[in-house]
Amino acid sequence: MDITWYLVLSALLFAVGVTGVLLRRSPLVILLCLELMLNAGNLALLAFSRSLGDQDGQVFALIVMVIAACEVVVGLGIIVAAYRRRIPLNVDELRTLRG
Amino acid sequence: MIQVLLWAPLAAGLLAAAFPRRSAGWVALIGPLVSLVLAIVVVAEFDSGAGLQHTVDESWIPDLGVRYQLGVDGISLFLVLLTTVLWVAATAWSAINPPERARTWLLMFGLAETAVLGAFLAQDLILFVLFFDLMLIPFYFLFGVWGEEHPGRAEEDEGPIRPQPAVTKMIIYTLVGSLLMLAGAIATGILAADGGDLTYSMEALRNDPLRTGSQYWIFWFFAAAFLVKMPAFPLHGWMPDAYRIAPLPALALFSGVLSKVGAYGFLRVVLPIFPDATSHFQEVILLVAVVSILYGSVMAFTQTSARLVAGYSSVAQLGFITLGIFSLRPDGADGAVLQMVNHGLVVAPLLLIVVILAARAGTDDITRMGGLAMRAPVLAAMFLIVTMALLAMPGSANFIGEFYILNGVFQEKIVYAFVASVGIVLAAYYSLRLFQAAMHNRKPEAIESREIGWREGGVIAALTACIVALALWPGLILDRAEDSVKGQLAATGEQAPTQVAQR
Amino acid sequence: MSATAYGWLVLAFPLAGALINGIGFRWLPGRSPGWIGTAAIGLSFLSALGMLVQVLDVGTDERTFTSSLYDYASAAGIDIQMNILVDPLSTFMCLIVTGVSMLIHLYSVSYMTSDRGFARFFTYLNFFVFSMLLLVLAGNLVLLIVGWAFVGFASYALISYWYRRGTATGAGMKAFVINVVGDVGMVLAALFVIRELGTLDLIGIFEEAPNEFTTNEGVAIAICCLLMVGAFAKSAQVPLHTWLPDAMEGPTPVSALIHAATMVTAGVYLIARFWPVFELAPTAADIVAVVGLVTLLIAATIALVVTDLKRIIAYSTISQIGYMIVGVGIGAYSAGLFHLLTHAFFKALLFMAAGSVIGAMANRQDIDLMSGFRRAMPFTSALLIIGALSLAAFPLTAGFFSKDEILVFAADRGGWYWVFVIGGYLGALLTAFYSFRIGFRVVAGEPCTEARELERGHIHHAEPENPATGEREDTDIGFPGPTHQIAEREWPMKVAMSILGFGALFAGFLQIPGVTDVIETFLEGTFEESKYHDTVPSESAAWTGLAIGGVIAIVGVAIAYYMYVMRPGVSAGLIRRFRRLHDFLERKWYFDEGIDLLFVRPTLAVGRWANATFERYVVQGLVAGATQLTKGANAGVRGAQSGYLRSYALLLVSGFAGLALYFLLQT
Repeated sequence: MDITWYLVLSALLFAVGVTGVLLRRSPLVILLCLELMLNAGNLALLAFSRSLGDQDGQVFALIVMVIAACEVVVGLGIIVAAYRRRIPLNVDELRTLRG
Repeated sequence: MIQVLLWAPLAAGLLAAAFPRRSAGWVALIGPLVSLVLAIVVVAEFDSGAGLQHTVDESWIPDLGVRYQLGVDGISLFLVLLTTVLWVAATAWSAINPPERARTWLLMFGLAETAVLGAFLAQDLILFVLFFDLMLIPFYFLFGVWGEEHPGRAEEDEGPIRPQPAVTKMIIYTLVGSLLMLAGAIATGILAADGGDLTYSMEALRNDPLRTGSQYWIFWFFAAAFLVKMPAFPLHGWMPDAYRIAPLPALALFSGVLSKVGAYGFLRVVLPIFPDATSHFQEVILLVAVVSILYGSVMAFTQTSARLVAGYSSVAQLGFITLGIFSLRPDGADGAVLQMVNHGLVVAPLLLIVVILAARAGTDDITRMGGLAMRAPVLAAMFLIVTMALLAMPGSANFIGEFYILNGVFQEKIVYAFVASVGIVLAAYYSLRLFQAAMHNRKPEAIESREIGWREGGVIAALTACIVALALWPGLILDRAEDSVKGQLAATGEQAPTQVAQR
Repeated sequence: MSATAYGWLVLAFPLAGALINGIGFRWLPGRSPGWIGTAAIGLSFLSALGMLVQVLDVGTDERTFTSSLYDYASAAGIDIQMNILVDPLSTFMCLIVTGVSMLIHLYSVSYMTSDRGFARFFTYLNFFVFSMLLLVLAGNLVLLIVGWAFVGFASYALISYWYRRGTATGAGMKAFVINVVGDVGMVLAALFVIRELGTLDLIGIFEEAPNEFTTNEGVAIAICCLLMVGAFAKSAQVPLHTWLPDAMEGPTPVSALIHAATMVTAGVYLIARFWPVFELAPTAADIVAVVGLVTLLIAATIALVVTDLKRIIAYSTISQIGYMIVGVGIGAYSAGLFHLLTHAFFKALLFMAAGSVIGAMANRQDIDLMSGFRRAMPFTSALLIIGALSLAAFPLTAGFFSKDEILVFAADRGGWYWVFVIGGYLGALLTAFYSFRIGFRVVAGEPCTEARELERGHIHHAEPENPATGEREDTDIGFPGPTHQIAEREWPMKVAMSILGFGALFAGFLQIPGVTDVIETFLEGTFEESKYHDTVPSESAAWTGLAIGGVIAIVGVAIAYYMYVMRPGVSAGLIRRFRRLHDFLERKWYFDEGIDLLFVRPTLAVGRWANATFERYVVQGLVAGATQLTKGANAGVRGAQSGYLRSYALLLVSGFAGLALYFLLQT
């Protein structure tokens, strides 16, 4: 099977993720969109791995998943903590880091 | 040996941090003392004909061509000695009167001494720039943390001056100069390498000077850093505020040594590496120097704060030193080297005396002092000697320095010598005014006249003894600096010394 | 021992005295600092005698010795040695300086007894003498300038000796600053000398000068004029004379020292020492002489009206120095130095007598308050009259011979130099008058309160006040001490004054026209190559001059006798008649005001202006420029840190997109 379709799907998924990150205000949704982008990357990795007959891509994809899981744990933890402290869950209002 | 000389103060400063507060000062004193002893050894072993001595040359950042090169020649020799002498004095002073958070203070002292010595010893352009900027860090903390608010000049409707803004102003102003210098240094290296291997070794840069056009603009980058540091008119804007808030023992070091690094930089870096630009802009710098002399003197004459009198007098004195260097003659530059040491030796005890005066009078406003000599003859005598040296009375080494400087300028550009000599008369006036206002006339009720303590007196007396000793034999410095000075001037095309003695 | 070894000893003793007194002030009891100081100068005087013997030991042509201790500062083509030059001129000066100073020290031991700064006083006094000797013996120009400046410093220290007095510290400052003006002139002269002659050694200069300069060459005139600035500042010649009358704020022995032996004669010495250069620049020499003449007349007119006893004597000094300056300016070197010698005697004597009178007056100095001390203080009165006679150039006193020698020499040069003769004799008339204005008003007339009190055996003691400001004196330290000393009661004062009185009467016999010429012969070793050396006025001219001088002196004294003894009201009437003139003279020709207006005020104004405007706008503007630059850059970078997560993300994404696009386009 031609690799092109996988890559197109991957690109579409990535674009959806980017759009979500850029447009949404809720940290929860942003986190989900980030996951989407990561998985778009995974898809591309797997597609290349298969078409080239090399196993390294799959290993790489596994590592990405692990990291994504860690990230979700930390990210969700922060969101829950923020929610408990009644900090607004809106990234536009969380800008204490501005210069 | 020179490595020990360089790093001992910092090491002792770190060591002192581990000791209890009471003894920390005396532990920290070990570093400057070691350096002083080594500096004396270096002076004793010095061979005036042999050029650079005690050299160290290690590779440091090979990819950038930066080397760790140190060395002593006739120009840096006595500045190193001056630095070590003044640091011993100031550290001893701090050990006698420990400030708050004494250990941090002492650490900063050690770091500062290492940085200054590094700037005097560095023979690699980048290393020089690094040490030059490193000097600022300890003084930022010394001035910012231990500085005290000054009431400001009432007659000028000036509000109180707080330490933080003043020190920030000083740092930003000098850093702008330093950054320009860093840019200039890198440009020099790259242009000199011309696609080949990068090197910042001063000796190499000297042997292979840049093209005239590049020299012209890089000259000003370096000049900006040095003129701000000295400070020269009209770049002294940071000085009045910084001088008024600075803790005095640290200010004694700053005024005594750091201002000399600027003048030293001209002699060490600018003259040999940018000879064409130096000759080309000679008159401009001479003009700056002469105006500094007159302006500094006139301002010193009208100030009421003893610190500012000292500050503006430094502007004038550094003007003389610059004048000597840019006479581009061996006699003028030789005198300038002597004068750098002299001025350091004079201004440091002067500022320490101001500490004592301020403690007696509760203010540094000289119009509110008076009559302090009454019960303090020893203090008065030492102050008088310092004053006379400050105004360069003939018979002091300062006079010989000024005489050599004026001679250099006189033979080169006679007008500047005549105008500069007006500065000598003004110096007599403002120095004596300071002395009289503090020591003589009626004593206001609120002021207590009492003799200086023997430990503090010992520090000032030691410095005064140095002044007297140098007055008896200024040839000590002139002889040893002469050959190195000629070497630095060789490239400016003015190497022919006055053959007057032979005629 | 060689002459130069004695020369070093001459220098060493006063320095040692100053050091011992200066360091040991806490431990030296009673009058001992005074005796140490006096002994130091005494030993120095003996060494000077030794020097004289050694100099006389060799032939006239070989009487020049030099000796160098070490290289003081020699580098880069400038050679400055620590060396001295002993020749007849320096020997002559050393003898005067040490001899007269020794007597002044002796006098001070008594006079300053009750002052609390006794040791400090003798430290300064010894240092003063050391400086003057250094100036006189210096073998090169830089060392001469060093001595020159030390003299200025010592005078500063002594003038403002009673430092609790505002007027004293002000006067000290004035003296010092004017002297520094002179120093700067000397330094610039030295720089010219280096450039033109390539040496700073005095002998070298005198040997080179005739080879390098043609007569009246511009550079030679420049050098002479700059040296002149130095000489005039130190010798208090117009317009740099204003410090000298103010210097009366110092204790009376200091005035004696400054006027008689050490300081003001330095200018005369300098010009005499540099005669080879001045003879190459006759124009400069003429300027010197003219300034001397102007000074002697101006000072004499001021001395007619001031009423402060010490200031009258001070103006008389300025006037007498004017004679010496005229002398060395027209080439009458030995005559000028002869007058220096006699002047040293009678001027020191006059100040000592005045000190004794001031002691009796409890530190009041206004002659309007004094009268009739002849019975109360017979010794002081007699010596005061002797001093006044000599100052007035009364026939057969010392001043009589020396002053006329200068004027006769001027007459002998002829031409327009007659101006000096006429001016000189006019000055002599004024001198005779004002010297007896002092003499008669103090000695003659009805005894004043203080004199009566003293006749009853009690020295008047008033609460001291500053005569200049009327302010109560602060007696906590030093001034003026609880007791007052008069010569009648203190043998050291008596001895010192007697010896000087002897000198003031008989020193003139050293050089009587046609009879003796001790000084001229002795100084031959220094001046024999001068082109005026053979210009010796004829004996008949000399005696005619003496006769005229004698008559003028007697007339002057007679006028004073008429005005102050026979008709005491006349002077008040004259003051009323010529109110304007009197005011003008009393304000000292407005020199102080002029200098203030021309130099001091503009400098202060510039300083204030700079502080208020320039410093604030231009200098701080530059600082602000640097900070603004930093701030501007800062603002640019800060804008990017919005804190919006989305903008960061967008930046990231567009960055990556850009990179990707770049690589795509590359392939």
